Formats: sequence, C-alpha cells, structure tokens
Amino acid sequence: MFALLILVPLAGLILMNLPIGAALKRLAFPLALALTVAQSLLIACPAGVAWLGGGTLDHYFNFSLGIDGLSRVLLLSVGIVVFTTLLVGRAMLVGPRRQFNFVSLMLLAMIGMNGTVMLSDLFSLYVFIEITSVSSFILIALTRGRDSLEGAFKYIILSAVATIMMLASVAVLLMVAGGTSFEVIAAALKNSPHSLIARIGMGAFVCALFIKGGLVPFHGWLPAAYSAAPAPVSIFLAGIATKASGIYALVRLATYVFPQSPAVNNVLMLVGAASIIIGAVAAVSQSDIKRLLAYSSISQVGYIILALGCGSPLAVAGAIFHLFNHAIFKSLLFVSSAAVEQRTGTTDMAQLGGLGSRMPVTSATSAIAALSTAGIPPLAGFWSKLIIIVALWQAGFHAYAVIAIGMSVLTLAYLLVMHRKVFFGNVGEALAQTREASWGLLVPAVVLAAITIGLGVAMPYVVNTFILPISRIL
Amino acid sequence: MNGMLLLPIVLPFLAGAAALLLGRRAGALGGPLAVVATAINLVVAIVLFRQGGEVTFVAPWATLGMEFSLRAYQFSNFIVLAAAGFGLLVSLYCVKFMCDRKHANQFYCYMLISLALVNGAVLANNLIAMLFFWEGLLGALFGIIAIGRPGAWKTATKAFVIVGISDLCMMLGIALTYHLAGTLTISKINLPLGGLGAVAMILMMIGAISKAGSMPFHSWIPDAALDAPLPFMAILPASLEKLLGIYFLARISLDMFQLSAESWISPLMMIIGAVTILLAVMMALVQKDYKRLLSYHAISQVGYMILGIGTCLPIGIVGGLFHMINHAMYKSCLFLTGGSVEKQAGTTDLAKLGGLARKMPITFGCFIVAAASISGVPPFNGFFSKELVYDAALERGILFYVAALLGSFFTAASFLKLGHAAFLDKGRNENAGVTEAPRSMLIPMVVIAALCVVFGVWNGLPLHNFIQPALAGSHFGQLNAHEIGDYSGMHGSRVLLIMTALSLLGALANHLWGAKVSGSGLGAADHIHHAPSLSWAYDRAAQRQFDPYDLVLKLLAVVSNILWRLDRANDWIYDRFTVGLTMTLSRGVRLAHGGNYAMYVLWAILAAAAVLVFLVKS
Repeated sequence: MFALLILVPLAGLILMNLPIGAALKRLAFPLALALTVAQSLLIACPAGVAWLGGGTLDHYFNFSLGIDGLSRVLLLSVGIVVFTTLLVGRAMLVGPRRQFNFVSLMLLAMIGMNGTVMLSDLFSLYVFIEITSVSSFILIALTRGRDSLEGAFKYIILSAVATIMMLASVAVLLMVAGGTSFEVIAAALKNSPHSLIARIGMGAFVCALFIKGGLVPFHGWLPAAYSAAPAPVSIFLAGIATKASGIYALVRLATYVFPQSPAVNNVLMLVGAASIIIGAVAAVSQSDIKRLLAYSSISQVGYIILALGCGSPLAVAGAIFHLFNHAIFKSLLFVSSAAVEQRTGTTDMAQLGGLGSRMPVTSATSAIAALSTAGIPPLAGFWSKLIIIVALWQAGFHAYAVIAIGMSVLTLAYLLVMHRKVFFGNVGEALAQTREASWGLLVPAVVLAAITIGLGVAMPYVVNTFILPISRIL
Repeated sequence: MNGMLLLPIVLPFLAGAAALLLGRRAGALGGPLAVVATAINLVVAIVLFRQGGEVTFVAPWATLGMEFSLRAYQFSNFIVLAAAGFGLLVSLYCVKFMCDRKHANQFYCYMLISLALVNGAVLANNLIAMLFFWEGLLGALFGIIAIGRPGAWKTATKAFVIVGISDLCMMLGIALTYHLAGTLTISKINLPLGGLGAVAMILMMIGAISKAGSMPFHSWIPDAALDAPLPFMAILPASLEKLLGIYFLARISLDMFQLSAESWISPLMMIIGAVTILLAVMMALVQKDYKRLLSYHAISQVGYMILGIGTCLPIGIVGGLFHMINHAMYKSCLFLTGGSVEKQAGTTDLAKLGGLARKMPITFGCFIVAAASISGVPPFNGFFSKELVYDAALERGILFYVAALLGSFFTAASFLKLGHAAFLDKGRNENAGVTEAPRSMLIPMVVIAALCVVFGVWNGLPLHNFIQPALAGSHFGQLNAHEIGDYSGMHGSRVLLIMTALSLLGALANHLWGAKVSGSGLGAADHIHHAPSLSWAYDRAAQRQFDPYDLVLKLLAVVSNILWRLDRANDWIYDRFTVGLTMTLSRGVRLAHGGNYAMYVLWAILAAAAVLVFLVKS
C-alpha cells in the first residue's frame, strides 16, 4: 500500500482542482498538512511502515515499488519538509488564490518526490524527477517578480540540459540492458563492465543528477533559484526538492544499480570535494542570507556526494544520515531567514542586526541549526559529519578527510558570522519595533530544532535502529 | 567506641560551620562558641589519649583502595592532644582579641575547620584520606590570611601558590608510593629507599617540610605575619602546621620509608635543616617589627626539627620531635604576647614601642619565659630539646653542629634585642596610656609559659609519655630498639653544655656591646646588619631578591611575555592571514560567478563532457 503515498496526493490534487465549489478549496490546506503529518508519522514508526507494506493495493497498479531503508529516510524527510513548507507558505504568501496554487503545486511536488524515492525503474525515476522539477519551476516563479522569473528561467535552462542527458542515458541503457528496471540494468552492467556505451550512459545520468543536485561545477542555477524563490519555496528547494531528485537518485544509482567502479567513485569524490570547497568559500563573502545559505547548501551536499564516492558501507550510511540531517537543519535555516524576511522585509545582512533580542525563538533555533550544520556536538550534524570523516579516513582518503574537517571549520565561520550580523549586537532604530515571527514559522522551527537536538542526543539509538541496518543492506 | 575517632574531625568542623552562620554576631558569640567547641575537642582528645592502644575506624569510600580509614595510636593521639590544647588556648585568647573585628565569623570558621582538618590529617590511615584533609587546610589557610588587613589577599595568594605547589609534590609522592607499595594504607607501607622510593620520599618530604614552613617554602610566612589576623600566626604557622608537618615528616622518615643514616636523603635533610636555621635566624635578627621578627624564628626553628629527624639517630629524632612540641608552645606564646602588645599599644613596630615592661608585667613575664625557651636557656624546655639535637648533629658532622649552635647564638641575640626594644627601652609618650592585656588573653599566655617551664624542669614527663613511645612504636624504633635510651633529665656531654653556655653568654655580650654602640636596644644588631658583605645580602633580601616566590614570578613574567608574543603571532595567523586568504579566495569565486548565465551552462556542459571522457578513458 506504499502506492497510497502517490495516489492520495494525486487524488487530492485532482479533487481540489475540480470545479465543485469553494468549500473544498478552503479545505485544501488543512488536508495537505494532515497528509504530510500522516506520512511522517507512518514512516517514522515501524507499525506504520508495516501497515503500508501490507495490503494488496500495490498489485493493481503497475508501479515497480522498491521500498527500503533509504527510501524510508527520504519519505520521512519529504513529510517533514513539506509540512514545514506548507506552514511557512500559509504564513507568508499573500492572497487565497496564490495560496491555493501553492498547495496544489506542493501536492504535485510531493507526488514527484514520493514517486522518485519509491520506484525501482530508471525511466519512472526520470519521469518523477521531472514532475518534481516542473512543479519547482512554477513554485519559484510563484510571485511573478522579476527575480523569481529569472531564477525559474535559469533553473529551466539547466534542467533542460539535464533532461536531455537523462533521456539519452535511459535510451542508451535500454539498448544495453533491454529493460529499464533497476534489476535488469544492474545485471546487464555487471555482465558487461567494460562496455563503452554503458559507461557513457552511466556518466550522462550521473552528470544530469549533478545538475539537479546543484553540485560544482553544475550549480550555476542554484544560488539564483534559491535566493529568488519566495521564502517557503526556498525551504522546499533547499530542504528536499533537489535532494529527493538529484542526491537521492545518485545514492540509489551509485550503490544499488551501477556496478562499483573506481572511476565513477573518483568522479563523485572529486565533484563532492569541489562542491564542499567552492560552496563554503563562496558562502563566506555573501551579504544576503538566502544566497549564503544557498552556497552553504552546495557545500553540505558535497559532503553527501564525497561520502557516497568513498563507497564503504559506513560512508554511505553517513551520507544518507547527512542527507536527512541536511534536510532538517537547512530547512530550519531557511525558516529563520523566512522569519527575518517576514518581520523586516529584507534578507540583506548589512541592514540587519540585533534581532536576537526581538526574535528570541528564531534566534535560538537558528543558532541550533547553524551549530548542527557546522558539526558541533551533540547536535545531529556532528554525528553524520563524524561518520563521514571517520569512514573517509578508514578508507584511506586522508586528503579528502582533511578537506572535510577544514571546510567544516569554514562552515562554522560563515554561519557564525551570519548569526552575529543578523541576531547579535545592538538593534538599530529601523528594526526596534520588530516582533517575533508568527506561529506558522515558530512551530516548524521548534519542531525542526527539537529533531536536530533529539537525533543528536539519541544518537546510539539512531545508529542501531537506522544507520547500521542501512549499511548492512549494502 | 571506634566511631569516637570521628569526633575530633566532625566537632570542630560543625562548630566552624556554625560560626560562619553567625555572621555579624560572631564578634560576640563566635569566641564562646569556639571555646566550647575546642574545650569539648580537648576532652575528646584526652579521652582518646588515655584510652591508649590502637583504635581504628574504617568506612568504605571510593574504590581502588581509597577507603576512609582513621587510626589513633600513641603518636597521632599525642599530636591530636597537643593540637586540641593549642586550639583551646588560642580560642580563649581570641574571645577578646577578635571581638570587635570584621570577618570574625570567617576567622572562627577557618580556625575551627583548620583544627578539624589537622585532626583528620593526623588520624588518617589512608594516604588519599590524608591528602583530602591536608589539601583542605590550604583553603582554610587562604581564607584566614585573606580576611586580614586590606590587601592581604595578595599574601593569601602567595601562600596558596607556594603551599599548593608543595602539596602537588605531596600528591605526586602519594601516587608514586601507591605505585610502589600497592596499598594506600599508611600503617602497611614500609618501602626501601632505592630509585623511585627515594623520589617518592623526597616528594612527600617537600610537602611535609613545606607545611612546617621550612626554607625554601617559607616566604609567605613573614608576609602573613603582617597581613593576617594575629591569632592566625599563633594557631597555624606556629603550632598546628608545625605539628602536622613534622608529624608527617616523622611518619615518612620512620614508618613509610626505611630511612637510615647511610642514605643520601639523611644528609640532604640535615642540610635543609641547617640552612633553614641559619638563613632564617639571620633574617630575624635584623627585623624591626615584633611579628615579622617572630615569624622568621618560626621558620628558623623548623630547621632544628628537620635537622634532628634528618640525623637518623634516635637521640636526634627524639630531640626533633621534642623540639616540635616545645616550639609550638613557646612560639605560640610569643605570638600571643605580640598580639597583646598589638592590641594594647596599637602597633608592633619596634621603633614605636618601648618601656612596656612596667605597663604589661604579666605579658613581659611570659615573654621572658618563652624567649628564654626559644634561645635554649636552661632550665626551660627549648634548652633540652636543642641539646638532644646538638648531640645528634655533632655525631653526624661538626659542621651541622656549628650551624645549629650559631643559630642558637643569633636566636638569643635577636630575642635580647626584641625584649630590650619592646619592653625595656625608654617608653615613648604615645605608650603612656598602655595597660595590661585583658585576663582572657593573659590566661593562655600564662598557661603556655608555665608549660614551657614544666616541660623543661620535668622533661621526663613529655619524653616518657609522648615522644619516646612514639619513636618506639615506629618501624624505625622497632628496628633500632637496642639503641634507644632514655633521654630525659640532663643529657649531653659537658663539652656541649659549655659550648651552649658560651654561645648564650656571647650573645649577651654581643647585645650589650651593640646596644652601647648604637645607643638603643633596637639598634643592638645593627653592627651585624651593616657588617661588610652581610649588609649587601641584607639589602638584597630586603628588596625581596631572594624570595623564591618572587624569583619564580619574575621568571614567569619573562616566560609569559614570550608566550604572549607567540600568541600574537598565532593570532595573526588566525585573525589576519587565514581570514585574508579566505576572503581573497571567496572574492575570486564571487568574481567567477559574475552573473553571465551562458557561462554557467557552459561550465556544466564542459564538466559533463570531461566526466564522460574520464569514464570512457578509464
């Protein structure tokens, strides 16, 4: 019955857009919110997963579902981040029509993301990635401002390049394997490891996913899109959209479908390290909060890809854990920036300062997210970075491990500078009347901060229950 | 009855805590409280002592052999008894002395807690428990000095640092001893003195002699004499800490390590003792302040005890221990007379005193007895203990004997000067209204002075009851049982007696001549002060150039200056270099992101091509 995770949003999307009255449209937001809560809770508790796994519904649809620990981590992240995004969107978007469109598009994106992480077929993967991307384009341009349109346009252009590469790759791999399901492709690639055309297919798909995930040097669209998008959409993009489409697919393909090859791993590690360094270095001199966070996002995704390229089970488990943590803390950072934007109307750090006294909750949760991102114990981000660095060192990639540690220091530097500029110091006259953000922003902020702290403190439980099973499957 | 061992620790401690709670009322109520508490403590100590034999109390504490074990036997009972006696007398003295002082509650608290801790350290039969009490004294010491006159915290810090460092040595010594002996129970430890054993012994000895106030760990005592409330000097450096330090020195020398005259540690101890005697007494001789002069003697006299124990001869050890108890008596008596003078005349500056003998006859009488004792004038107690030490020192080497005798000469000279200047010289007008001290302050002085006489004339009493059994009960005593005689009565050869008499007469002659030349008692030692080459040394000492604490502080200033410069360099690397590098790189990356979108797309396509080429090639 995992198909429900696709079918229910789909049914909801169709129903609310039928011309059968305004009452249903008013219900759209609470129902969508309830859906995300239901998804998070069902995935988070084992009984819910067992219930979803039972039933015969899946047989009636020709979905080739493959649900494992990795999928579940992503489904949980989708639930949490979409929940956050919906609440923030409710608080910050103006006008019922825009809100309704927003909810519809979020549901569409949810279909795309849930499908991406559950299906075990290369072509279906492509289709659902595109569903996610298309809804993202429109979401970025939701307010139809000049910047938003420009950001959406940039995303479309590079996504088109990615689409071409993905489609070409699917065609090539279909030719090699005679099918598009993961099992068939994996078996075919295993049998002919030296096939030139198969390598081109693999390389093209990986490069396309680099673009979707926004890795250096495929990241040109990302800073513009993240910073130009409306605040709730930034949370959605940075927290989950690019992760569920680009990064999840890379993890899935590199560990389950493509044969372990040093060449692919080298490419992954090189791109990952480049992303870490360029993202962090570029973040240091940014003056806009959202742009800084966008570069930070590139840098953090680099950690995931670097660990993935390392290839050892521990490293991949660390990568998946960091993927989840990133969804939490990066969403939280963007929620903080949304809160600042909501009350001050700007995200330019030069105009901000001293908001800590006016927005204590936002300041505190933002600090927790920043510390978790920088890998400060006992927050969750510390553990995933620790696992990644230990795995890198164990696998003998000492230089990469040193880069990972060094850039983690830089991460702390730019996030602390950001925090100081925005929240510390004396509050200026222009901002003296600033109030704490509204409930719609505080609730998700507190929930996300609690998850970050809770995961970090309950680390032994998390390792035994989630991380080790994932790495054992590999 | 074993639980009774806890009483000497718990009782004063609770009383101390209660004194602290008194707050401002402590000026009036603290004294009686302390007197009652110390009186009960004395009763407990007497009961313990009379009970005799060995009593132990063991309670589980921490793991790894750290148990809370107490052991009362002849020697420790004796120290507890002595400490209880001084505790009571000084408390009695304080009732009047402290009644109008600020911080009286803290003073009583620290004093009573010190008493509890000393009792604990003496009774402890486990090195860790002992260390617990021993280090606790440091806190009380700091507090009691810090509440003295304004600015005393500086002296308190000095004392804290010096004693703290030597306590650290003690801690290391204990760790090493545990490593060697495999047990922390003091009564089970008996280690040979080879290699590490010697190191452990030296480390613990540093702790012990530092507690007793020996050189080179002495320099806080003269400062504290001026800064701290006076009864502090009488109770801590003069009596309790001496008792504890020398007690522990005797324990490590006689029980815990197999010290013998052949070991190199024996001459080392004797050298420390001899040097301490001479240097400190030379400093005492030229002091112009009542309390400061006494404090140097408190250092100097420790030398006799260390010298005596260091000889490793039964007679020397008996002499050293006997001198310990004698010193505690006459020195606390002397400090108490100093306190009376301070309280009645308002100053302890010898230049402003004079002619007090007529006005404070009882104080003067006590002073004479105590001063005669410390100078070694027969038949007072100091004479007999010094004779025993002389005897042992002469047997081990003539140099040590000469040093000890010279020390005696200068001691006598400096007390002649002190008495002459403070009590006999023509009085000044300001002192016209001075009267005798109140009775509650006189009683302790008189009692102690009387004891000085008793312990001298009937010296068999302390020797038979306290000191010789303590020696006989130790490992050392059991090993050398046949050599231990009875040292009571008039001991020593005729030559020694003549030499002592000559040195005392010499001191008197020297004083009379000096007083005649300079025209006053105060200047009686000036000819020594200004003697060629000595005056140079005295000037340097007055400028604190020989104070180990100040020397180390100066050294530390140099080291910290160097470290500061290194730190600046470090800061430059972090604050300037790294930041500059990062910002430069960052600006470079930013320039690359110039906003030309075609360029971004080109990057992506070129990178994808590179990836494909790489994959195909490999």
